[in-house]
Amino acid sequence: MFDSPTFGSLTRATILRSVLGLLFLLLLGRLYQLQMLYHTELGKKSEENSVRAVIQEPIRGYMYDRYGTLVVDVGPSYTVTVTPAAFDAANLEKLAALLQMDKKEIADKITKGRAYSRFSPTRIKRDVDFKTLSALEEILYSLPGVDYQVESKRTYTTSMQATHLLGYVKEITDAQLSRSAEVYRPGDVVGSSGLESSYETRLRGEKGFEFFSVNAQGQFLGSYDGGNSNIRSKEGYDLLLHLDASVQTLAESLMANTRGALVALDPNNGGIIAMVSKPDFDPSVFSGVTPLQLWQQLNSDTTKPLFNRATMTRYPPGSTFKMVIAAAALQDGIIDEHYRITCTGAFRFGDRVFKDLHVHGSTNVVESIQRSCNVFYYQLVLKIGLERFAKYSRMFGFGSPTGVDISEETAGLIPDTEHYDRVYGKGKWTQGYLVSLGIGQGEIGVSPLQMASYAAALANGGTLYKPHAVAAIRNKRTKAVEELGHPLKTTGVEPAVMDVLREGMRRVVQEPGGSGGLARIYGIQSAGKTGTAENPHGDDHAWYVGFAPFENPSIAVAVMIENAGFGGSKAAPIAGAVIRTYLRNTKQLPERIAKPAARDTVKQVTQVTEH
Amino acid sequence: MFDYFREYFDFKGLFVCLALVAMGLVSIYSATYDAGAGAIFEKQTVWVIAGVVAMLVAAFFPFKLLQRLAVPIYALTLGALFSVLMIGARISGSKSWFGVGDFGIQPSEFAKVATVLALAAFLSKTTISISNTKHLLGTMLIVVLPMMFILAQPDLGTAIIFFAMVVPVLYWAGASNFVLAAIFAPVIVAAGALFGTTIFLISIVIAGLIIFFAHENRFAAGAVFGLTLAVGLSVQTVYDNLPSYQQKRIATFLNPESDPLGAGYNVIQSKVAIGSGGLTGKGYLQGTQTQLNFIPEQWTDFIYCVPGEEFGFIGGSVVLIAFAVLLFHGIKIASISNNKFGSVGAIGVIGVFAAHIFVNIGMSLGLLPVIGIPLPFLSYGGSALIANMAMVGLLMNFYANRKEH
Repeated sequence: MFDSPTFGSLTRATILRSVLGLLFLLLLGRLYQLQMLYHTELGKKSEENSVRAVIQEPIRGYMYDRYGTLVVDVGPSYTVTVTPAAFDAANLEKLAALLQMDKKEIADKITKGRAYSRFSPTRIKRDVDFKTLSALEEILYSLPGVDYQVESKRTYTTSMQATHLLGYVKEITDAQLSRSAEVYRPGDVVGSSGLESSYETRLRGEKGFEFFSVNAQGQFLGSYDGGNSNIRSKEGYDLLLHLDASVQTLAESLMANTRGALVALDPNNGGIIAMVSKPDFDPSVFSGVTPLQLWQQLNSDTTKPLFNRATMTRYPPGSTFKMVIAAAALQDGIIDEHYRITCTGAFRFGDRVFKDLHVHGSTNVVESIQRSCNVFYYQLVLKIGLERFAKYSRMFGFGSPTGVDISEETAGLIPDTEHYDRVYGKGKWTQGYLVSLGIGQGEIGVSPLQMASYAAALANGGTLYKPHAVAAIRNKRTKAVEELGHPLKTTGVEPAVMDVLREGMRRVVQEPGGSGGLARIYGIQSAGKTGTAENPHGDDHAWYVGFAPFENPSIAVAVMIENAGFGGSKAAPIAGAVIRTYLRNTKQLPERIAKPAARDTVKQVTQVTEH
Repeated sequence: MFDYFREYFDFKGLFVCLALVAMGLVSIYSATYDAGAGAIFEKQTVWVIAGVVAMLVAAFFPFKLLQRLAVPIYALTLGALFSVLMIGARISGSKSWFGVGDFGIQPSEFAKVATVLALAAFLSKTTISISNTKHLLGTMLIVVLPMMFILAQPDLGTAIIFFAMVVPVLYWAGASNFVLAAIFAPVIVAAGALFGTTIFLISIVIAGLIIFFAHENRFAAGAVFGLTLAVGLSVQTVYDNLPSYQQKRIATFLNPESDPLGAGYNVIQSKVAIGSGGLTGKGYLQGTQTQLNFIPEQWTDFIYCVPGEEFGFIGGSVVLIAFAVLLFHGIKIASISNNKFGSVGAIGVIGVFAAHIFVNIGMSLGLLPVIGIPLPFLSYGGSALIANMAMVGLLMNFYANRKEH
């Protein structure tokens, strides 16, 4: 074909084809490698590049009282955020001045946020006021990466505080964050006490994610995938409480300026109608930013406002405990209801004399409750002995936590042989140690909640319900209500014995010579027991436990006021007013006296015989 | 009638070329879809029309006249390359453009066509033999002259294309293995020098072996080996004198992750774009890397990412196969041509295409350093498109006149 033997030879054509073919195979192989073998990895990179997830905060669950009144709500709160990847550190000073924050504090928060995601906004300051917000709006264009978002914060719609019952939400601590990093991010609020804490998983809802496309400059271009990939936030569940907001409000006002606690339970199911612990504080101070100074002040206050006295204190119950000893003696056949002693106003045991406030003369068990005769019980506790004392105390729920659905609770202290052996040594303690236990004094500790549960068991004839604040949980969207089951157990005290105890308690309030006359409610048969517990820290603690109406009880109350003096004069009137308001709210008062004008009847004093 | 056309009209070359141009338009439309650069797509459409005209002119240009005009066209192009250095517009640091109204003309693109024609004309002369050293040097000179002008712009990428194009032409024209060895050995050693001492020493051994097995006489072999060593050793000096952006490109090619937001950015984003496409791609106009402008000026040098990302492995393979069909078709024309002019010309054309294709796609796939050369038919750019389509026209011309002597 051509003069030169090699020009355009078949061999050379084949070699050229082979070289080109190999090069194409090389490209094809590389294409296969990138698109088929590295696809997962590179696909993820591409997504990270171009899609930003913005967290949609769920609405926290509301709380309603037993009548459906909204008591804990959420309201809007503005939070300033910074997206670490987009933020220019040169603007730190400007931002710090605007938010009146320390530069280092902001820088720290950004660093912390960066560890979670460089591309999602991290909270810098929560609950910013409108003035700051509008100032920020004006210069937002010059602060890349800075933005604000609307979040919710707790608002409280009624005049009650119910601080220790409801609890409060607070910005998450580093320790909490490290425990559950998959759920929370820095700056999230989390339930930190009370119901907010124990129902946190139900209240908080689930975070949603909204995905946006961003370009290479990180500018938001709009919804990613038409919003189809977005994950909707799920609202938190609402709590439907047994609480009666107006009873709670009244109880708080009656307990104002005291140190003490009040617990009111529904004896038919253990529902908490009211729970007061004083002193307390306004839980809304925590709903926005938690001021450090206030927090430290609450923490260091010697009256311990953060401490839930209703569930956490462990005080001797005084005479309110007498029904336990009576129950032990009656049920185990040590005495019967006709058994009588003669009270001479004092009881000598060994070389010690235990005093009574009055000389009660001939006294049977019902009268001993009615008049709170100490001598009767000094003798009786020696007859039943320590083991029986401990056994019956436990049957009424003392000495162990009640299982209430509020996180913090004490077990209390009920002494038994083992306890004394441990404390004093085997054989080194005598029966004399028992005598004061007969009137609920000495080495015994109970919480107001345990006392309320005890009162409820006496009211309903012997059933111990687990005290609980939440009756049901409601789905905000579907309105489906999930009733919470609460376990119950019987005290094991026979009905005949209960009848005797209840008659004694009825007389405490209703009959002349009873020590709880100040708890009396006109038109209603009420029952109760006063207590005045001596303590080494000043004046006596005033106690009252009671229930009403006598025949078909719907409320049981325990009141404890530290260092207030006589239970009959300090605690009983408060219990009476609380019971009366509850019965009026639930339409259990005879119409004639249900009018508010009749309210001051609690101040009418009958005979007071204390101790 | 139809049989006559089948005999003399290169349908295959035409269709493959038009298919590639269509893929280009589709890709450019996507790459500029959201970027507010609809003007780019419109301009490219205009150039496609101009390209079709250029292709048809080249296809039907009288064969003998084409041979005779090859040298004058070449001379004219050299003049244009010279004047663009004097009066051209400086765009992105290079003086390679003539501004004509809204449009710019890049003489270096047309220089490729002119050089292919000049090579074909020179090597097809009956008095010229490639085994004659003087004639070999003459052939080299035809390529080196435009290369010098283009390097002065400076445009390293296009200059490399000239070098890559001449190799298959010399091979096709019958150059001995030793000539090829003398060309390849310094390239291997120079490339090896960039990767450190060990690789450099290995590349010297390989180059030595190639020269040894291809050598015809010892003096020539010794001289070539000495030259090879000199080139290898001077690479460092040359590297030091490169513009810093090119140094950076070489450095980041060797390790793109070393500068992910700087010079390595394009390579990483391009790999991410293609890799995230998977088998079937993200769908047309749905490629996030493309649509959200993660690859700067994607419609020029990184256009291959568009089919890769939006149509996946299938789309990427279709483009590769279309190119392969075109190149193999060119070799076939060269093989069946009865005249040297058409034969050498066809190899020159596919040499130019092949160099562009492998360098550009290799770069997009992270196999080669970022060298700014466009992908034929797909990349945005009028001069390149018109020149490339004219070269397909030449292939068609060579096909039609394959029986001429």
